[in-house]
Formats: sequence, C-alpha cells, structure tokens
Amino acid sequence: MKNTLQTSTDREAITEPANPLGLDGLEFIEYATARPQALGQVLESMGFRPVARHRSREVLLYRQGDINIIVNAHGQAAAGDEADDRPVIAAVALRVRDAAAAYRRALDRGAWAVPSRVEVMELNIPAIHGVGTSRIYFVDRYDRFSIYDVDFVPIPGVDARPPAVAGLHFFGVVQYIGNDRTEDWTEFYRELFGFVELPAEQRFGILPKGRILRSPCPAGSRFYIQLIEPEAGVLDVEDDEALQRVGLGTADVLATVAELGKRGVEFVESRGVHTEDRGALTRSWLGGISFELVHDARA
Amino acid sequence: MNHDSGNINDFGMDTISLAGTLEAKLQAVRDAGFGQIMLAAKDVVGHPDGLDAAVAAVRASGLRVTGFQVLRDFEGLSGHLHDYKVDIAKSMLSMCHQLGCRLLLICSSTSVHATQETQALVRDLRKLAMLAIPMNIRVAYEALSWGRTVNEFPQAWDLVCQADMPNLGLGFDSFHMFATNTSLDALDMLDPDKVFLVQLADFMWTEIKSVEERIATARHFRVFPGEGVHSEALAALVTRLHGLGYRGDYSFEVFNDDYQQMPLATVAARARRSALWLGEDVLRRSVPLPNQIRLKHRTTG
Repeated sequence: MKNTLQTSTDREAITEPANPLGLDGLEFIEYATARPQALGQVLESMGFRPVARHRSREVLLYRQGDINIIVNAHGQAAAGDEADDRPVIAAVALRVRDAAAAYRRALDRGAWAVPSRVEVMELNIPAIHGVGTSRIYFVDRYDRFSIYDVDFVPIPGVDARPPAVAGLHFFGVVQYIGNDRTEDWTEFYRELFGFVELPAEQRFGILPKGRILRSPCPAGSRFYIQLIEPEAGVLDVEDDEALQRVGLGTADVLATVAELGKRGVEFVESRGVHTEDRGALTRSWLGGISFELVHDARA
Repeated sequence: MNHDSGNINDFGMDTISLAGTLEAKLQAVRDAGFGQIMLAAKDVVGHPDGLDAAVAAVRASGLRVTGFQVLRDFEGLSGHLHDYKVDIAKSMLSMCHQLGCRLLLICSSTSVHATQETQALVRDLRKLAMLAIPMNIRVAYEALSWGRTVNEFPQAWDLVCQADMPNLGLGFDSFHMFATNTSLDALDMLDPDKVFLVQLADFMWTEIKSVEERIATARHFRVFPGEGVHSEALAALVTRLHGLGYRGDYSFEVFNDDYQQMPLATVAARARRSALWLGEDVLRRSVPLPNQIRLKHRTTG
C-alpha cells in the first residue's frame, strides 16, 4: 500500500469559538398559509398583534414582546387544495453578528443557498435550505435598525410593540425527523451554527422525547431545537421531515395557561400530556398548528 | 416469491451490466427476481423522455434503488474547480433525491489537479456529506484502485473516520481490493455500520500486472461472482463481512462488454445464479417468512 496520505501533525483539535456566527436568538418565525386570516386569529388568541404589512406581498408581521411571527400568504392561494391548507413553519430567521459572513460560512461548509427573490428597495436577506421545504435566514439588523423598517409598513393606529402575554418569549422549535436521522440533523446544526447536544437527562417542558440541541447564543437569547424521530417500531416508511411547532418560554406556566385560557386557548389534557408547572401544549388549530409552553425563568 | 426460490434480498444488479433502455433494464432485473437495482446518472439523464419520465419508470418498477453513481474526482480541488465540482455534486444529489434513492456513491479522485493533503480531502468529504443531509442521502466513499491519493480501502476508511460525519461511510468494491491485493485482514478495522455499500465482481485472470490493465479489466472484463477465478476469495470476503456484522446491500458491479451484447434476460439470469450462490451456498440465508416487515432500529441513545 502506497503511503501517500499525509498524517496530521495536529495533536490537539483546536476548537472553534463556541459561537462562531455570533448567534443571538431568533429574529422571527415564518408561517406559510393559504388561510392567513384564520392563522391570524390563532395568533391573536395566543397574544400576538398584527403590527405591519409587507410592502409588496401578502405578508403580515405579528408581534408580542420580542417575538416576531411572519404570516406569509404570498403565492399560497394557488396551491388551494384542502389537504394542503395546514399552515406550515416555512422559515426561521437567526440573529447573527454578520449575515453575509454567516451565509458564506454556511455555504463553505455545505449548506444549500436559497435564491432570493427581492423586489426593488427590499432587503436581500440571505437564506439557506433547512429541513423539508423550510429556510433558515440570517439577519444582522435587529438592534438599532430593523429589517421590518424597510420591507414592512406599520399598520396605522396599532401599538408597534405590544407587550407579551405573561412574559412569553421564544424558547425553541420542535423538528420532526425521519428514522435514524438524529445524528444527521445534530451534525447539521452543530457544523453550521454551533449548536450543542444536551445530555439526555436535561429536558424541558412536558414533552421530553428525542434530542435537544442548545443554541450557542448568550443566556438572554438562547433557544433550543428538539429533534424527534418517529415512534420506535413504526414501519420504516415515514420519512416526512418538517418544523413541527414553536415553543414559547414563560416564567409561570400555570398563570400563562390561565391568561391564554381567557382568550379561548385550550390546552391538551390527556393521560400522556397535560398542563403542569413544567409546561403545557395547546390543542391544535387548522389541521395541525400548535404551541408548546415551557417553564423558563428568563427575565 | 415461490417457496423454492432462494433469498436474494440482499443482492442487486447494476444497470451498467445491461444493454438497452432503462425500462428494459428495470424489467429484466425485476423478472430475474431481484428487488433492488443500482442506477447510474446516465440511465436517467439519457432517458429519451427526460428525467421525470426516468424517475417515474424507476418508481413504477417497484425496485428499490440501491444507490446512485457516480461522483468522480470531487475531493481535493480548490478555487473554481472546487466550485464546479460542488455544482456537479448538487446536481447528482438532486437526481438521487428525486429517485427516492438514499445513497450516493463517490469514487476517490484520480485528478492530478487535486491536492493530496489529508485535511483538504477530509474537509471536502465533510462538505459533500453536509450537502446530502437535508436530502436524507448517505454518501459512500470508495477507493478506486487507480485513485491518485486514495487507492485502497484502508485509506478511504481513514478519511471517512477523520471526516466523522454520520451520513458518510465506506463504499467497498471487491474488484479494487483484489486488484491491489489488499489483505482481507484489513477488513477487521471496519465498523460494519459505516460500510454503506458493498459492490461485488469477479474477473477472469488471476493477476493484474499494470495500472492500465487494471483499468481495462475494471471497465470491460468483470464477471458476476462465481463466474471468474476469484470465487473462493469472494466467498471468503462476504463471509468475513457478514462475520463483521455487515447487513447492508451487495450490488453486482459488473462491467462487461460481452454482457452488453447479450439478451438482458440471459445476463440477469447469470446475475441471479450468482446471487443464489452467495445467498444460499456462501451466506446460507434462510428464506424470509411471508409478510416479513422491516422495522426501524431501536434507538439506543
């Protein structure tokens, strides 16, 4: 055997910075739906308020506290078929130190670029492909100047910064994955963004299945991705993968449940899943959209 | 399946052994009792009715696609050559995904334009595996026996280990192992879960003297396992892989100019005979029970 392979002289694996992109939380979650009004009602019952409208597309911005939700009905109407009416989580936007640098770094490491389709005077927000048909945006203007100032027009007479119900904040996203895919997706989030796997005994909320990845953000903007494979013993045919639901953090789950209950939100009460101090799960609306509440004492 | 038929579920043919249209190949493989087929990119892009028609034909055949081949000369390039190859890789991954195929085969580079530096090769393999993750595709890296830097499977295995990606594993071709006289003992270092594909072929002469002869033999004169003079070595190889714990697919990687001018059914019958020999006589597979279902692995974590 010809020994032409050079052996590495590195005896120490020099570790990369723990937060290579300067990740600093979630800027927004985007839903795509052909029924924007119905989804808007759901969001309003969860405490969100519509605050701005996109300049050129059928897109609305909902907000409470620091949580931004974008409802995108652009190009959805044509799909039109009843079965496809379920709103889907179409994108997550990550706050990073430098969006262009983060985007280039991701592409260098094997991410797929999403071609952008911006209109004149709109921001070109770089994106890569995430799970299923979803996208991951990189946003670096979230401090003194916001992306919404450019692409959105405020809805007149509406408080642009409605307070959050019971201190709700982004906690994380649950991602459903295919059989034997946990390691693949762990590597995806680790390599591209610096997520780390939590030990199996560290779990949040009332739905502890699967693997939890922690973002490398500072404590104040930290969020989690939970990867869930199909039930063991299920036939090896279920390979659908998608972002399944958004988790919202609250310092007092029971008080939040009571507050949202007054707005008509119902929570799952079954033998396996029920409201308690650790967390709660809303009943699903519109064929599958739900929110999870997780106890998280963040101020 | 008749009760007197053997268990050849783990074995599959490769379209490169057959002449004719994609549909004719699929039919011949199916008729010979195989459940899977290895496809080459040119099978689908060269379809007279286009890629979508090819994908539809493959899906309609009911055959499982063992793997999709082959990405060449990928690792170790830089600058515009690297960018060009990444585009090629993305195109192959997209086709692989459309076919519902879960495995892309990549051969070690023969390019003199590629660096031989290990870290660069590892970085490129990591990148390829990362490109494949969202599409749920595994990447099998194979040592071509005339590869410039990597030409024996222990070297390919070394890079796979260093790249350390969950969806990157070894593609193993018996021809290349025999051509370079790599010892069977080297198999013992492999993790069977990281061997993603085993390709088998025999050939008609005992010794290959030059690299030129090796390439000519590989591309024109391979035969099905049991038809050449390396049957015992092949039997020892699959027995060893089985003992190691390998339970994946065996695909017959048989390039043969004569088979290209024989009726498809005749070639497929030879492949079937070979699969029966390996399944019945060598591995002594039992016939599966009716309605056998495949369950997912129980998670250990």
